[in-house]
Amino acid sequence: MKKHLIVVLLQGLFLFLIAGLIYYFYPTTNASVDGNWVNFNSINAKVIMISENPDFSNSRYLDLTQRKNISLNLNPGTYYWKSDNGIIEGLQNELVVVSEVGMKIDKTSNQSDLVNLGNVKINVTKTKEGAIVGQVILSPEQYEQIEDSGNYVGRQDGK
Amino acid sequence: MVNSILINKKIPKIYLISLFLILLILPGILSLGITPGRTTFNYETGMTEKEVDFSVINNEHKNMQVMLMIQGELNSSITLYESMVEFSPSEESKQFKYKFKVPVGMDKMPGLHTAEIIALEVPKAGSSGTYVGATVAVVSQVYFYVPYPGKYVDADLNVLDAETNGTATFILPLINRGKVGIGEARAIIDLYTSLNEKIGSINTDYLPIEPGARTELTGKWDVNYPSGNYLAKVTVLYDGESRSFEKQFAVGSQALNIESILVNNFRLGEIAKLQILVDNKWNQELKNVFANLLVYNNENQVMADIKSAAENIPALERKELIAYWDTIGVQTGEYNGKLMVRYGEKSADKNLLLKVSEDNLDIVGVGYAIRPQGNSKGTSLSTILIIIIVLMIIINLSWFVFFRRMMAKKKGK
Repeated sequence: MKKHLIVVLLQGLFLFLIAGLIYYFYPTTNASVDGNWVNFNSINAKVIMISENPDFSNSRYLDLTQRKNISLNLNPGTYYWKSDNGIIEGLQNELVVVSEVGMKIDKTSNQSDLVNLGNVKINVTKTKEGAIVGQVILSPEQYEQIEDSGNYVGRQDGK
Repeated sequence: MVNSILINKKIPKIYLISLFLILLILPGILSLGITPGRTTFNYETGMTEKEVDFSVINNEHKNMQVMLMIQGELNSSITLYESMVEFSPSEESKQFKYKFKVPVGMDKMPGLHTAEIIALEVPKAGSSGTYVGATVAVVSQVYFYVPYPGKYVDADLNVLDAETNGTATFILPLINRGKVGIGEARAIIDLYTSLNEKIGSINTDYLPIEPGARTELTGKWDVNYPSGNYLAKVTVLYDGESRSFEKQFAVGSQALNIESILVNNFRLGEIAKLQILVDNKWNQELKNVFANLLVYNNENQVMADIKSAAENIPALERKELIAYWDTIGVQTGEYNGKLMVRYGEKSADKNLLLKVSEDNLDIVGVGYAIRPQGNSKGTSLSTILIIIIVLMIIINLSWFVFFRRMMAKKKGK
């Protein structure tokens, strides 16, 4: 019975040791999202894999061998990422860059401009008395001269 | 009279003119934002309702009234808690909620179902009590996907780096909108000129796709054709089924390339001269080309917005754009930046890292890199777990066998 206990204890010690080693070598990385900016901060990761697909197909790699943090400007969407330090490949994480639809009509004495203030391409329809009378697609920061009449409705473009 | 004299004495004329100008400009700005621009749900068995947060943004920090409305196919399934909201200048954004109730029998209606949450800036009426002029409204879309029975693929095509004498990358994002997983999806892309003459064919890689999941197939094409518009006829093949679509793409559409950025004789606190070398790869002169460099501080706020003078760049020639950065107040350290070279409505962009020291400004390109050489891939946690489990089984089995033998020996004695 005593021998059994010793074997069980040794196995427990072995598992504790392995858990400690994983904790020590795990590529700990924090990601924070601020608008379109994503910041990765890591002490011991060498590479960060980032992809729009959960299976990491067509993923891109961020090199962290020379630095501890990196900021990226990403388009709105859901991204999957994991860090790697050559010893352990970290678990899959998810981050979301939230889309913002924003519009502004700048009016001066002689013209009006419709400006896309958001971070996505927008499809703007112009309606007058309930009927659609015009349409324009604007990229972020792009503007278009418009008539100062009607209702301009902006919605995220594309699928 | 006394009051007006007092005002004239106390407030300088320049302030009154500024106030008049502000009052003149303010009513001329209609501005509104909403986030997220789209919320997507995938139908799951047992799903009955969801509560979703969204925010309306007061970009101009002004007093405004916003009306919230719902429209679209699923409008009767959405409940808004508020319909009219007031913003004061101190409120940059306000968060709201809506409840989305999955309509009964929806599982039998596969495909995309939508609704729209509309935020409309209520225009302020003039002295006559009416408003004449344009109004703005922004939309937060609700996309609700109900899976198709069996296998169903939603596909798109993006073409990257399509430059003459280069290698173009064809990326096909695929989403399995079916209830059943796909074992292998691949695509054949046939390429045609604008005269419908076939010039090539690409086979992509192949991947499995779980139900509701997204993946990307990739194919490469060596571009030995001149700039212009081409047609890609795509056939996606998945487990014996297929789906076809066409998409036009351009070769040589990236007319400008940022070649290098040079900074000579840099001294922190002085005005730095940035020499941005750009290459016009288009066979026409590009007019009014200018560079715009944005430098961000540690909070990712723009700390410098630098623009060069506009230049005309002759066809297939290089030219240097000069921009000046006043570095007074800039601390040593690393800053993120974005360089945009704008021409017409287009822009060539580059993410940068600016390493600022007392007597040196080092600008390096930041972006996606291929896996650095020498960095072997680490072992995944699931692999480690499998190894541990196998090891534990071996240890315990060995102990069991050893113990049985030991007991048998004891009995034999």
